Amino acid sequence: MATRDVGGRGLLGRFDDWLDEETSPRRALAVYGVLAVYFGFLLLPIAWLILSTLMSTEVMYSGRVVPAADELTLRNYAHVLARPEFRRYFVNSTVVATATTALTLVFGTLAGYALSRFEFPGRSVLLLGYISTQMLPWVLVLIPFFLLMFELGLVDSFTGIVLAHTAFALPFATWMLKGYFDDIPESLDDAAKMDGCSQVDVLWRVILPLSAPGMAVAGFYTFVLSWNDYLAVSVLSQTAATRTLPFGLQLFQTQNQINWGLVLTAAVITMVPVILLFAVVQRWLVEGLANGGMKGT
Amino acid sequence: MATTTTGRERFGRYAEEFRWFLRETWLGYALVLPTTVLLGVIVVYPTVSGVWISLFEQSLINPGDAEFVGLGNYARMVADPTFWLAFKNSVLLTAVAVSLEYLLGLGLALALKEKVPGIGLFRSVSMVTWVLPIIVMVIIFRWLVQPDFGFVNIVLDWLGLPTTYWFGNETWAFPLVVAMHVWRNVPFFAIALMASMQSVPESLYEAAQLDGAGPLQRFRYITLPQISYVSMIMIVLHVIFTFNNFDIVYLSTGGGPVNSTEVLATYVYKQAFTSYALGYAASVGVVMLILLLTFTAVYVKLEET
Repeated sequence: MATRDVGGRGLLGRFDDWLDEETSPRRALAVYGVLAVYFGFLLLPIAWLILSTLMSTEVMYSGRVVPAADELTLRNYAHVLARPEFRRYFVNSTVVATATTALTLVFGTLAGYALSRFEFPGRSVLLLGYISTQMLPWVLVLIPFFLLMFELGLVDSFTGIVLAHTAFALPFATWMLKGYFDDIPESLDDAAKMDGCSQVDVLWRVILPLSAPGMAVAGFYTFVLSWNDYLAVSVLSQTAATRTLPFGLQLFQTQNQINWGLVLTAAVITMVPVILLFAVVQRWLVEGLANGGMKGT
Repeated sequence: MATTTTGRERFGRYAEEFRWFLRETWLGYALVLPTTVLLGVIVVYPTVSGVWISLFEQSLINPGDAEFVGLGNYARMVADPTFWLAFKNSVLLTAVAVSLEYLLGLGLALALKEKVPGIGLFRSVSMVTWVLPIIVMVIIFRWLVQPDFGFVNIVLDWLGLPTTYWFGNETWAFPLVVAMHVWRNVPFFAIALMASMQSVPESLYEAAQLDGAGPLQRFRYITLPQISYVSMIMIVLHVIFTFNNFDIVYLSTGGGPVNSTEVLATYVYKQAFTSYALGYAASVGVVMLILLLTFTAVYVKLEET
């Protein structure tokens, strides 16, 4: 009897064993069905992009969806990486995004610490004020900002671009960091102060080590924002010396005859650093975004 | 008497307290100073200055030479059909994209909150479209709808349907722009709503089940009210982001074909940095500013409650 039971349950039975107790097989199949539709919609375009970069030009323009395995080639990557202007944009993007991240984390940590631990008049107004600057129309802000940079001689400089990107990222980064600092019990601060730490020591020795995930998420958010920005760079950058990848990619696209192999491959290489960083921080990201955006003041 | 203190002593105690207060606040102010100054100089000052510029006729070619025209730019704007088209498109794009993002995000959240094997992988991969550079997303979509060799057209051709470069089509360019917004933001909605659903106490569902509520009723009367706060925050934030968004439209269609996808953000940008009409661009920007400040006020109200 018992053996026939196991045999009779077969595949469905084993599927059921694999699920946890609350989930019925029918429910699980429905969930996987829904997920398949969504992730098809979300991931197929990216998969098609990557597949296309591995095709030679003839295959790419042949109108076939699936190339044969022996038709795949890395030639496009060799071409793109050999182009000096592309390498330059890559370096520029790295410099700008790294500097923006460093500046934002320093400023954001100081402000987030003050907003989390100090009582001073205007504190809550300041917090809402910061976040409100995120909601202003950037295209309007950029007009006088450009004139200001022009007067300061910072047009076509990394400094100007980094300042603009820092201003984009800082409000939300500060807010996120404050949220993380709030989660660290204040009794730890007090204990450290009893041991003779000053307020600044507390930040350095207690808060920072305990908020490493928060730093990672805020840093990631800032880096990606800077790496992805087209708007500020297109206004401030005048020569190849300050051009970053998004702007460079747009130029590749507007050339008379679009070389799709080049454009698509450059796009893949542009997204690689972001995807790698995403893979590192994704386990904290969900929580961090929920914390920063939802918890309120 | 022990309780009466001389004025001098009392003053001394207040002074001590005041000094302590200053020490606390002094450091607090010092710590927020860099952020406040930076945002003040790079965001707040230009915004105020932008409102001022909107009262002038000023060209990017010779910015020093500005002529005061009062509300002249606004008068021109009211009579400008392209402005009204961009205005309509901005509102329509925001309304349609955010509604779809919310509904689709809600569906994905319901699936992602289920504890089936491998769900962790789905949860972590889902945000990938949100971190992708916008230029990369635009290149993907433009590639997908290329005539003859784009994936979408290969499939349409296979189904015997007409094929074309869909971003160049006056009817379909706008829905494609909506699709890109949705593709990008649905995962963010889903993750936020899922987190909110997970924090609903299980006991509420158990109680409802005892009272004989079916799955649909539990969703309607427990899940939806419990996630309403997060829903409102997400919707208001995305209304602001979508209304403010410049690069999705600019990079994919540039506002065309024949202005059919022009939105306020691209119109301001083109007026300022392509036509060099800074004053006029600023006046359109001020319209955006007023609407965005209204949305922001709603957001702040929500955060305060």
